[in-house]
Amino acid sequence: MITLNTDNNRETVLDLANLSAEQTALEVKNLDLYYGSKQALFDVSMKVPKGQVTAFIGPSGCGKSTLLRCINRMNDLVDICRIDGEIQLHGQNIYDKSVDVAALRRNVGMVFQRPNPFPKSIYENVVYGLRLQGIKDRRVLDEAVERSLRGAALWDEVKDRLHENAFGLSGGQQQRLVIARAIAIEPEVLLLDEPTSALDPISTLTIEELINDLKSRYTVVIVTHNMQQAARVSDQTAFMYMGNLIEYADTNTLFTTPSEKQTEDYITGRYG
Amino acid sequence: MTQSVSFKSSGQRLLMDKLARYGVSAGGVLVLIALLLIFFYLLWVVAPVFYGASVKHKQSIPLVDNHATVMIGVEEQNEIAYRFNMGGELRFFDLTEEQRFFPAHQLPIRVTAADRTVPSRGMAAYADSFGRVYVMAPKFKVTYPNDQRLITPTVEYPFGEEGVMVDPEGKGIRQLAFEAGEGEMAVAVITTDGRALLTRLEGEVNMFTDEVEWSSDNAVIPGLPAFVDQMLITPDLRRLFVRSGNRLSTYDISSIGRIRLMSVDSINYQDANVTDVALLTGASSLIVANDNGKITQWFEVAKDGKRQFTQIREFDAESSVNEIAVEYFRKGFAVATDDGYMELFHTTGGSRLLKEKVDEGNTYTLAFSPRANGLIAQTGNSLEFYKVSNEHPEVTWSALWQKVWYEGYPEPQFVWQSTSASDEFEPKLSLVPISFGTVKAAFYAMLFAVPIALAGAVYTAYFMSAPLRKIVKPTVEIMEALPTVILGFLAGLWLAPLIEDNLPGVIATMILLPTGFIAAAYGWSKMPKAIRQSVPEGWDVMLLIPVVLFLGWFSFAISPTLELWMFGGDARLFITNELGISFDQRNSLVVGLAMGFAVIPTIYSIAEDAVFSVPKHLSNGSLALGATPWQTLTKVVLLTASPGIFSAVMMGLGRAVGETMIVLMATGNTPVMDWSIFQGMRTLSANIAVEMPESEVGSSHYRVLFLAAFVLFVFTFVFNTVAEFVRQRLREKYSSL
Repeated sequence: MITLNTDNNRETVLDLANLSAEQTALEVKNLDLYYGSKQALFDVSMKVPKGQVTAFIGPSGCGKSTLLRCINRMNDLVDICRIDGEIQLHGQNIYDKSVDVAALRRNVGMVFQRPNPFPKSIYENVVYGLRLQGIKDRRVLDEAVERSLRGAALWDEVKDRLHENAFGLSGGQQQRLVIARAIAIEPEVLLLDEPTSALDPISTLTIEELINDLKSRYTVVIVTHNMQQAARVSDQTAFMYMGNLIEYADTNTLFTTPSEKQTEDYITGRYG
Repeated sequence: MTQSVSFKSSGQRLLMDKLARYGVSAGGVLVLIALLLIFFYLLWVVAPVFYGASVKHKQSIPLVDNHATVMIGVEEQNEIAYRFNMGGELRFFDLTEEQRFFPAHQLPIRVTAADRTVPSRGMAAYADSFGRVYVMAPKFKVTYPNDQRLITPTVEYPFGEEGVMVDPEGKGIRQLAFEAGEGEMAVAVITTDGRALLTRLEGEVNMFTDEVEWSSDNAVIPGLPAFVDQMLITPDLRRLFVRSGNRLSTYDISSIGRIRLMSVDSINYQDANVTDVALLTGASSLIVANDNGKITQWFEVAKDGKRQFTQIREFDAESSVNEIAVEYFRKGFAVATDDGYMELFHTTGGSRLLKEKVDEGNTYTLAFSPRANGLIAQTGNSLEFYKVSNEHPEVTWSALWQKVWYEGYPEPQFVWQSTSASDEFEPKLSLVPISFGTVKAAFYAMLFAVPIALAGAVYTAYFMSAPLRKIVKPTVEIMEALPTVILGFLAGLWLAPLIEDNLPGVIATMILLPTGFIAAAYGWSKMPKAIRQSVPEGWDVMLLIPVVLFLGWFSFAISPTLELWMFGGDARLFITNELGISFDQRNSLVVGLAMGFAVIPTIYSIAEDAVFSVPKHLSNGSLALGATPWQTLTKVVLLTASPGIFSAVMMGLGRAVGETMIVLMATGNTPVMDWSIFQGMRTLSANIAVEMPESEVGSSHYRVLFLAAFVLFVFTFVFNTVAEFVRQRLREKYSSL
């Protein structure tokens, strides 16, 4: 049996099906995704609420990461990937032909499974996104570095060695650095793709605490394998299975009184 | 339930493991040993070049007569020495253990003056008081009785035993200068009544009788100084040098009817007096010895349209020089000093090689043996024979790497010219021009190859669609398997004339292709989306093929027009005449293209692998931060791939430096030092390939070629070491997880 450690001071439960436009960070509408001839996502529709943590859970290969990567169009990099349907950010379809992918990704940041700092100094890693936008003012960059590293709860650990190579950091620190790098450009949405799967339990804990802090400023979408983690950090949880969105509800409800049989089987450990 | 667990591995596995371990170690060690062996073999062959000279006393022969010496010498095998004395006597001495006795040969005259030729001609001339000159030469007959070499000395009278009348008035001769060649001789004499006469004797073989018919001409030498210390005739019988104290008068005696005083020069070292003058082998240089020990080399140098005697370099013998002896074939000489030393010098090498005390008192005369491996010195009452070990005097560090003022050159220069038709040729073994050629060839090849190979590699690895990449990469890599001899052959016989004929077209191609690419790419990006999306991503490069074909055709098509319009009809003439740049058909442009072509696959392949193996999660991380693919490439991918890209370039450079066939066939192999793209070069590797087959084993030339190989080895060694060092540093800095 899984013991759930749900957060007690949750806000009032949102009605996920009928979120108002102000409450919605992004909306997925009838999304189908194909890898070549194989369909990986089937008619997924959901609204992700603003300023909250939404978790995608499900067994391996259920399409949760694929769905996440649709949100900042990382799937574009896969040659054989084709998408039908819409994802709306601010009421605008991000798959519209007029959308500049780079601009989209500045608004939808992403942190990957494995820490992937660039082979540069800690400082340069954090300001990478800002430099891309042509910001050269040293003062602005310095401020952004401190703000982002504090935001990622890394400042105190690295403030004396900002100009050392990022590879000198531990795995957990590297992952927080990557988060700092992502929030340095102030995205609206932050996508976390199994951010702790390569980390030890203590680092995982730090990241989880960090996610809790982050939701005050960003909409966070997290993919995780780990149901306790979903339960600990998320406000909403979506359970996916075989490319279908099976159930999407607030975390408490989903883990305690799932409405679908498949969800219950999964969270009680029948498969997964 | 108990279970017996064995922690022993099976014997066979252990054995395989051990075998593999030792096999791999042995392989590695053998490679290292092979490298070291090459290294030490090269060093071993090269090392004697830098050994100093040494002499070893072999024999002492007492002299019995009291006459002064005219000439001493040794025959080629160092077995028999000879001495001409002022009494008109030629005597041979056995230098071997056998101590054979040879009868003396005596001229039946009363000698009033005598002189000798340069050592390689080996004759002595005696004058009597009736205006006649007699010439004697030692001859050595080699026979092999009982399979043993036996050398028998005899005497020869090349111009007849009766002598040659040099003074038609038959007066006595006070001073004599003599030089002889094959079937001709020149004699300058000063008679007792003070006339200076030049006689030239030429022999012609009568076709019917097979006898030599001699014809002689006489002329008066005008304006001779009152006191003459020394007279010298060059072996080509074209110049007469007359030294009077410290002044040297040069006469042109090439035509007996027009003897002409050319110049009078002061040749003494400042505040010193000249003690002896000798002609260096080859006879374009004079060696002048001074009483303060300074020895200077002089030759004629073209200056302001005139040829002037110029002091070229100086040596220091440290005490007054009695006499100078020159080597037979090389530019070396020895001096005997007042305080009993003999010293060896070499002009090209520019250094003193040896200073050795002669055993018995003062030395008056020295002479080399023909192969310069023996030296005979005459002291007060004996002949002292020394074995000389002085194999490579012309090769010194300064002669290899610094400017040297070679005979006949207007100024010190770097020259590689190892052989010539003449025996008395001064080898010019400067490694600077050929090292320069290597660097130049590599430079132009890299100039052509690096941008193309790297741009291609980055495109293939980063932008090209996977199916196309699968075709393109192996195709480029197969270019590497193309034998370079074919590339060199094509470059020399097809490309070089093509470039020569279509020079404006080639230059136009170089400008039009890159600009055309960019223009085409820009034009494509401005096309309507519908058209652009008809070509799958990563395949758009195929659209450049017609662009390349068209621009190539266009450049060559407009070549004649361009040539007419910009270069007055002939680009080659224009470059030579208007720009004053000399143009070789096989030039650096051809080499750059051909060798660049050979180097491209090396650089391309390694660089492509480096870029392609940059982890996807790094580029994804960058893209996820809102970077465009181009920003991701320049800021993350290239940075991460930089160690690999650097290695690729260094591998290419190593290949370009060591490449032989292409430079051999596509350049004129002229060792010039000029960065001009329209001139050829000679590289270290091509030089070795060209000259090694024709160099005599163990000669200086041979060893210097090995030195060139060693330099090449060091070049690549240094390049690779630096490359590896930089690569490690880059990898430390930019390696990804």
